[in-house]
Amino acid sequence: MASEKNARSVALDAHVRRIDSQDKVATGVLAVIVGLVMLLVVAIIAYILVRGAGRALTPGFLTNPYNDEVVPGILYQLWDSFYMLLVTLVISVPISLGAAIFLVEYAPDNWVTSAAKTAIETLSSLPSIVVGMFGSLFFVVTLGWGISILAGACALTMFNIPILVRTIQQALEDVPRSQRDAALAMGLTRWETTINVLLPAAMPAIVTGIVLSAGRVFGEAAALIFTAGSAPARLNFTSVNFLSPTNPFNIFRPACSLAVYIWRLTSEPTAGSTEIVWGTATVLLACVLLFNLLARLLGKLLSRRLTAE
Amino acid sequence: MANLMPKRRLENIGLGVTGFCVALVALVVVTLIFMVAQQGLTTFFVDGLNPIDFFFGQNWIPEQERYGALPMIVGSFAVTLLSTAFALPVAIGSAIFVVEVAPSFGRRVFQPFIELLVGIPSVVYGVLGLYVINALIKAIFGDAAPTGAGILSGSLVLAIMILPTITTLSMDALRAVPNQYREGSYALGCTRWQTTWHVVLKSALPSLMTAVILGMTRAFGETLAVQMVIGGVERSMPMGLLDPASTLTAALTAGLSNAVSGSVYYHALWSLGLILLAMSLIFILIIHLIGRKGAKANG
Amino acid sequence: MSKFDLSRRQFIGAFGATAALAGLAACNGSTEPAAEGTEGEGTEGAALVGSISCSGATSFQPLVEKARDAFQDANPDVSVAISGGGSGQGLSQVAEGSVQIGRSDVFAEEKLEADQLEGLVDNQVCIVGMGPIVNADVDVTDITTEQLKGIFLGEITDWADLGGTAGTIQVIQREAGSGTRATFEAAVLGGEVAPDSFRPVAEVDSSGTVVEQVAATAGSISYVAFNYMENDGIKALTVDGVEPTQENVESGDFTIWAYEHMYTREDEDESTAAVTKAFIEFMLSDDFAATVVEEGFIPMGDMKVKKDADGNVTAA
Repeated sequence: MASEKNARSVALDAHVRRIDSQDKVATGVLAVIVGLVMLLVVAIIAYILVRGAGRALTPGFLTNPYNDEVVPGILYQLWDSFYMLLVTLVISVPISLGAAIFLVEYAPDNWVTSAAKTAIETLSSLPSIVVGMFGSLFFVVTLGWGISILAGACALTMFNIPILVRTIQQALEDVPRSQRDAALAMGLTRWETTINVLLPAAMPAIVTGIVLSAGRVFGEAAALIFTAGSAPARLNFTSVNFLSPTNPFNIFRPACSLAVYIWRLTSEPTAGSTEIVWGTATVLLACVLLFNLLARLLGKLLSRRLTAE
Repeated sequence: MANLMPKRRLENIGLGVTGFCVALVALVVVTLIFMVAQQGLTTFFVDGLNPIDFFFGQNWIPEQERYGALPMIVGSFAVTLLSTAFALPVAIGSAIFVVEVAPSFGRRVFQPFIELLVGIPSVVYGVLGLYVINALIKAIFGDAAPTGAGILSGSLVLAIMILPTITTLSMDALRAVPNQYREGSYALGCTRWQTTWHVVLKSALPSLMTAVILGMTRAFGETLAVQMVIGGVERSMPMGLLDPASTLTAALTAGLSNAVSGSVYYHALWSLGLILLAMSLIFILIIHLIGRKGAKANG
Repeated sequence: MSKFDLSRRQFIGAFGATAALAGLAACNGSTEPAAEGTEGEGTEGAALVGSISCSGATSFQPLVEKARDAFQDANPDVSVAISGGGSGQGLSQVAEGSVQIGRSDVFAEEKLEADQLEGLVDNQVCIVGMGPIVNADVDVTDITTEQLKGIFLGEITDWADLGGTAGTIQVIQREAGSGTRATFEAAVLGGEVAPDSFRPVAEVDSSGTVVEQVAATAGSISYVAFNYMENDGIKALTVDGVEPTQENVESGDFTIWAYEHMYTREDEDESTAAVTKAFIEFMLSDDFAATVVEEGFIPMGDMKVKKDADGNVTAA
């Protein structure tokens, strides 16, 4: 009897030991995996910086045109990237704002709303090259805009809208129910409530979302190759003729963003282009990281100011 | 009454303006689907290509007017499945660690790290793949991979790209598992690993599957990073993982600039685009089905 | 052009981008006199005004960009927007009339349908010669056209068959649809096609990539235009004992070459026709010929042979 009990407790002990060690091994393996992932992230970023920082910090790289004979730079590509981003935001922010407000405030619970939601979801999962080929036919040919910044910005808008709508929607829904109820109880219409109460309260999250989406748009290339072009544009910053293809502000001229420039240089390399590729990749990465940082800072700053009021 | 009218007008304006925005987005999506379908179906209905020859033809040789899309379809599926297979264990493993084992480390350190990976543009991944992974594959396999470009390189690059997507979504999925489940399991004397394996993972399964499908959607549609490393050989079927191949997206990028609009080649490229579009719709459908099934299972 | 303007206004109406509005208000003002200025002139001496676009083949885009720079320096009121896109894009865009000049490195007859060809004018602006290159470690220096054909049809697979050290021949191809590939295959394969089972080790998008890959891949062979042959890690082969040089192309001894075309439209809008014409004339001018040679192309002037769209070579 006693021995049987003893044997049972020995077996239980063994079982406990086994599951304990199993637990330890599993935890150990998982820790190793996490360590490797973090190592991978560090390695990737460090490698890009090491390969490209030298070129990126060369005086003139950021301020020279691509065809400079001494230090070929990326001035035009930088300009084009930021300008195209600006045009994209000018188009996509109002539309996304409107769409998100509709979905949060007005959307009737019927097939129209669910169709609209499905449409936005579809947009978010489309491969970028499909958006690019659609843009190359619809914006470039059907609407007659040609290979242009505008066509490129519209293609980018198609990427940006689902991201923006989702973040703005989330931001509006996160506004405390009590604020909305109080406004409605005071006799404000939904529109007035949205404009005067919800939007200001949601502003920090919305701004953060916009800046974060800007980072994504900034690095997109596949949708631009056939809409905004891939040939480095030649710009003349003193030009006052807004129709000229060299005028930096002309939205009907072809443009080549940093990301597209990298793709083009790797697919059509010339002597010395590898260095430029790494330099440009470093600049692009730095810009995207800055966007992320900026988003966090802006979000914190705005919410502090709002709560201080 | 007179005071109420402007209010109602304001409300109608608000409804009109925001409704217009939604309608515009929906219209663009419908236009896109319609245009891709129209151009892509022209291949079969106007140019008279046999759909069976197109989908199962093993040779894509435009100069001989042979448009068999199978090499690219196989290429796309191969890189998608392989990259998911590479990324999945790592992603789920990290998610388990940072949610179940070290939650505060997960939020403060790991999350920002993995978000860095999301922020890196796909061309930069392509550059890394081209100069690092291809060189590595070439060094390891020697003559079996003379240029290093191929399905394996493409899958490795994609695996890194979809890793953050699957990881962050898996983290969300695990965090959504109610704490009572864990407490119940611990109360029964289960270890952390047993709890994770038998309780947490099981109840998070539908969300984890959604995470995987979203990762696959990204892998399937990823364009330039793959195009830069895969080798671009479309004329016949790839015979192995080290064989240079092509994907639907890579074939489109390379082909669109050479095709004359209105030609059979151009339409055939749009048909490839149509396959991509159809696949992304199918992925969405799968996610919806999983969501519905999960909702049903949870009552 | 009016369709173009309308869609701009539609865009403004729809989106009201203020930056764009300011830009367009200014540019609409400046186009009117520009259009009037070019009308009815074309006589020497009068200043050219207008802007044109030129898209298409990337192979001689650097040359066209050089020409554009010099041309714009001489005509400050003219602007030429140059974009890439490949021969196919260039030809279809000029056929549609969305650009004034479409660059192509093949005859339009090979890409366009008969009805699209109507109204297109073929301006052959220079010649590109191309030849086989191999990895620098390959110990073969001459190749016959027959051997080249054998390699690119997948029949010859080992360098030993060409008298070199044994080793697999790694064929690097240009992508389907490339003008360089079309020219090379027309001159070398003589209408034969590689069997389906034949797989190159890579199909790449550009001559620059060909050079990189050939330099990096042991035992590889490919082909590029003359201007890409001076690179580390690769070497050019002589074909049937003939060196790939400008002189040999001009005399007709070296047979792998093609025209670079800049297609224009007969019925081009007269507000831009004068600029287009002047730009093409500038590309063909004696002054520019030195730049053509510098960039590795061959000016039209000295050719003793000519090719037609079917590839038949005759004395010029």
